Amino acid sequence: MLAVGAIAAVTLTACAEDAPQDTWQPEGENSTRIHNLQWPVFAIAGVVGLLVFLAIVWVVIRYRDRGQPIPKQSHGKPALEIALTILPALILVGVAVPTVGTLMALAETDDTECSVNVYGQQWWWEVEYPEQKGCGGIDREFVTSGQMVIPTGTKVLVSGTSRDVIHSWWIPALNGKKDMVPGRVHTVRTQADEPGIYAGQCTEFCGLSHANMRMEVVALDPGDFETWKANQLKPYAAPEEGSIAAEGESAFISQCARCHVVDGLDDGGVNAPEQFVYSRTAPNLTNLMTRNTFAGATFDLLTDECRERVWEATPEEFGERYLEGVTPECLNEVDLRAWIKNAPAMKPMYTDGTKLGPTDGRSRGMPALGLNDDQADQLVAYLLERN
Amino acid sequence: MAIIERPATEPVVAPTPTPAPIVTPSEAFGTFRRPVETTGWRAWVFTVDHKKIGVMYGAAALFFFVVAGLEALLIRAQLAGPEGTVLSADVYNQMFTMHATTMIFLFAIPMAAGLANYLVPLQIGARDVAFPRINAFGFWCFLAGGIVLNLSWFLGGAADGGWFMYQPNASVPFSPTNGVDFWALGLQIAGIASLTGAINLIVTILNMRAPGMSLMRMPVFTWMILVTQFLLVFAIPVITVAFFLLTFQRSFDAAFFSPAAGADPLLWQHLFWIFGHPEVYILVLPSFGIVSEVLPVFSKKPLFGYPFVVFSGIAIGFLGWGVWAHHMFASGLGPVSVAVFATATMAIAVPTGVKIINWTLTMWGGKLRFTTAMLFAMGLVVQFTIGGLSGVTHSVAPSDTQQTDTYYIVAHFHYVLFGGSVLGFFAGFYYWWPKVFGKCLSERLGRWNFWLMIIGMNLTFGPMHILGLQGQPRRMYIWTTERSGEGFFNLGFWNLVSSIGAFILAVGVLFFLTNIVHTHRKGAPAPLDPWDARTLEWITTNPPKEHNFDRVPTVSHLDEFFHRKYEDVGEGDAHDLRAVATAEEVLAAEQAQADAQIHMPSPSYWPIVVAATLPVIALGIIYGVYIVSIVGALLMVFGIFGWAMEPGTAPDSDFDPSPVDDGGPTTELVRSE
Repeated sequence: MLAVGAIAAVTLTACAEDAPQDTWQPEGENSTRIHNLQWPVFAIAGVVGLLVFLAIVWVVIRYRDRGQPIPKQSHGKPALEIALTILPALILVGVAVPTVGTLMALAETDDTECSVNVYGQQWWWEVEYPEQKGCGGIDREFVTSGQMVIPTGTKVLVSGTSRDVIHSWWIPALNGKKDMVPGRVHTVRTQADEPGIYAGQCTEFCGLSHANMRMEVVALDPGDFETWKANQLKPYAAPEEGSIAAEGESAFISQCARCHVVDGLDDGGVNAPEQFVYSRTAPNLTNLMTRNTFAGATFDLLTDECRERVWEATPEEFGERYLEGVTPECLNEVDLRAWIKNAPAMKPMYTDGTKLGPTDGRSRGMPALGLNDDQADQLVAYLLERN
Repeated sequence: MAIIERPATEPVVAPTPTPAPIVTPSEAFGTFRRPVETTGWRAWVFTVDHKKIGVMYGAAALFFFVVAGLEALLIRAQLAGPEGTVLSADVYNQMFTMHATTMIFLFAIPMAAGLANYLVPLQIGARDVAFPRINAFGFWCFLAGGIVLNLSWFLGGAADGGWFMYQPNASVPFSPTNGVDFWALGLQIAGIASLTGAINLIVTILNMRAPGMSLMRMPVFTWMILVTQFLLVFAIPVITVAFFLLTFQRSFDAAFFSPAAGADPLLWQHLFWIFGHPEVYILVLPSFGIVSEVLPVFSKKPLFGYPFVVFSGIAIGFLGWGVWAHHMFASGLGPVSVAVFATATMAIAVPTGVKIINWTLTMWGGKLRFTTAMLFAMGLVVQFTIGGLSGVTHSVAPSDTQQTDTYYIVAHFHYVLFGGSVLGFFAGFYYWWPKVFGKCLSERLGRWNFWLMIIGMNLTFGPMHILGLQGQPRRMYIWTTERSGEGFFNLGFWNLVSSIGAFILAVGVLFFLTNIVHTHRKGAPAPLDPWDARTLEWITTNPPKEHNFDRVPTVSHLDEFFHRKYEDVGEGDAHDLRAVATAEEVLAAEQAQADAQIHMPSPSYWPIVVAATLPVIALGIIYGVYIVSIVGALLMVFGIFGWAMEPGTAPDSDFDPSPVDDGGPTTELVRSE
């Protein structure tokens, strides 16, 4: 079965319709290294398995009891035994040498050209772009969440840690996974060859909503990356006075700003997520509509049609479509409104006030806010302008 | 017992069960008498007989196998389609935690302990284990631990941190129910069983072998049990320490794993896997032993390369200690450590491969009879090979960083543990059932059982290779269509196949349970030697008498029993094996020289009393009512006192009067001189 699986996998991975987290479709230097190491090992394992299987089939056919005399009571042939011990040992030496080589190459971090930090938290990722000369130069640190945007063809050093329990950063198309452990900083290299969106998933069990902790890496060609970066750093644009969005701004300050930050918004100093969220931070919403997923990359901000336009785009089309962001026509309003009104109903979180004793009343995740329809309308209108 | 069982000097007459009226003890203080009942529930609860304890281990383990199997069915029902709604996220997390914990700690370890308990003394020609009361104590600890663990379901929810219980996710803020406390203390109690059992079996095997049975004439099952017990002796203390740290962390605000206090949560991972990897071999080596018994019997050939199989088992036992961090390739150990553990992991594939080769060559040139036991043993060889080879693919550490924590790993270890341990146990059930219960399980139902289980397991776990390589992580209570792809490898189809497979597998197990009931209702008594077996346990009656052997056999060969039945009359290099004695004749010859006096240990009240105090102590700690723990501890001290003070044997007056010596039944009791 393994042999069949391995061969089938080798021959069929060319099909683009496989799952987005397929581990056999490398899209960057690091994952390609891994792939070049793993497929021969799978092939060897398949052949060995097939040989054992054939031997058993042969034994069953040839040596079944047909009334033959009782066989010689032989206790074995030492020479054959030793040979059959050395043979697998040699095969394994042949596997070990390239394994160690690849391992060392993947651990290399000196040649990276761009640095991005990630923070795992129940149940989403914060992505931080520190001030640096790399990544085409970043003058002022900024953060986003759920989606990490990187320039193509650039060796990116992802440094990560966690704010609560152990999480694991994994974008299968780009590299293997790396646990992000509270109190430690771990690094993993990332590089994408072509523009596109690469799906990933937290792979270290991290509690209640582990299944709903996803992330994506978005690769843009360096020109588009500059555009994206400039947009992230643009100054705050207050909604037009008297608009629904303006009402949304005050609703945001009264309902959301205690935990969520929008850079440049004067929230009257209420922002203090560490008092309300056990893991100390809530997603920064400054440029929410430039990302196309929310709530730990679990839900789409785009309607199905618009989502497909981005996810199925060719590398040439991708940059332009991604930079369009979430337009009013493309907004998946159903999920966003439902989330604003009652988040724990959509994604299991730890927000029941009666059960928060051990966390001093702080929740893990977003509580149900109990907003009415008007407030939800206002917030949606406000958030739509966070682009 | 002070009881002396009087072996028959005549051919065996069917025993007439004589109800044993209990005689009031003559000793003044009843607390310190020893029980003497040989029938009814007391005969089981106070027993120190290794065979009764073995049967109780087996029955309890089988019960937990069914429980954990039902948990698995709920998991697969939840994952059969996208966005499953059978279980909530919370309950799902408890379910997979308890499925693994129960299968490992309450099924596989105790099932191996049960088989070892029953068979090791028989295989080495001993009349009991070295420490019979400690043996009973071990069983009750296991049962008490299992009950504590599962009580959590009814007392606010089971543990939800995964069987690996990584920190800090299993600390109080992230897992505020008492589930993890029940888990840590329940397993702590069950661990006592493994530790005492291991010491007991090691001493038994090293000291109580029949005359002539050198180590290299020991049956391979006993050998693999010996290696397993050494692994337990060194592994259980590590996890015991880890459980204590966890309990102190949760119940007494210690900070062994708290990053905020400067601790490193990876400490837990190292402690857990230093236990956890040898644990894998603890689970699988007993089954390796079983197939090493079954394949030769049904091939009518000795095990090919006996010393190679024995020494590769020992080699696995040693190397098993140097590979734990391959569970942690993604946890950020640094490339040098990873390289060391990756190569060590590849090295352990060599002795494992040796076993596969030897089993295949045992069958090669044989005279194969495909009984159900043989089918299960061959099933192990094929299925375990798949698990072993997928294991090699993730010893390649860079490749493992793509596979770890995906369903590919779930596929791998189920081929190892189901394909290895479980199929081996089933081979053992069918092979030794007549030895233990005096009746052969139905071969017809057995075939249904085998094929449904094999088809079921391949449908369940085979597709998980695909799911994992397609990037489906483990431990997710739902999967979604957005991440499932559309082609041949789409997650939707293969998840459904896997779930259907799980139910087929369950039907297979149901056939086994039916087979037990059917056999015990309608089965005919088994012949003395139904399989033409090779080892010492078959040189006595089915089931064996309480004292196992009327005469302790003298051993002059590996496969002693076979060599008493067959002789090679071929000249020079020609081989011509002739039957020279039937099993009945061999047994009669043994009985003719029966030992005149056989001392067996008396039953005891105290093992169960001492074991029963442990859950009391645990519950006190879990609920923070320490007075309960103190009372429990005092009861335990009292129990140990009683244990120490009870007389070495029951006084004569406790036993039935001696019947007239008429050379009658072999099982009745007579007074000691």
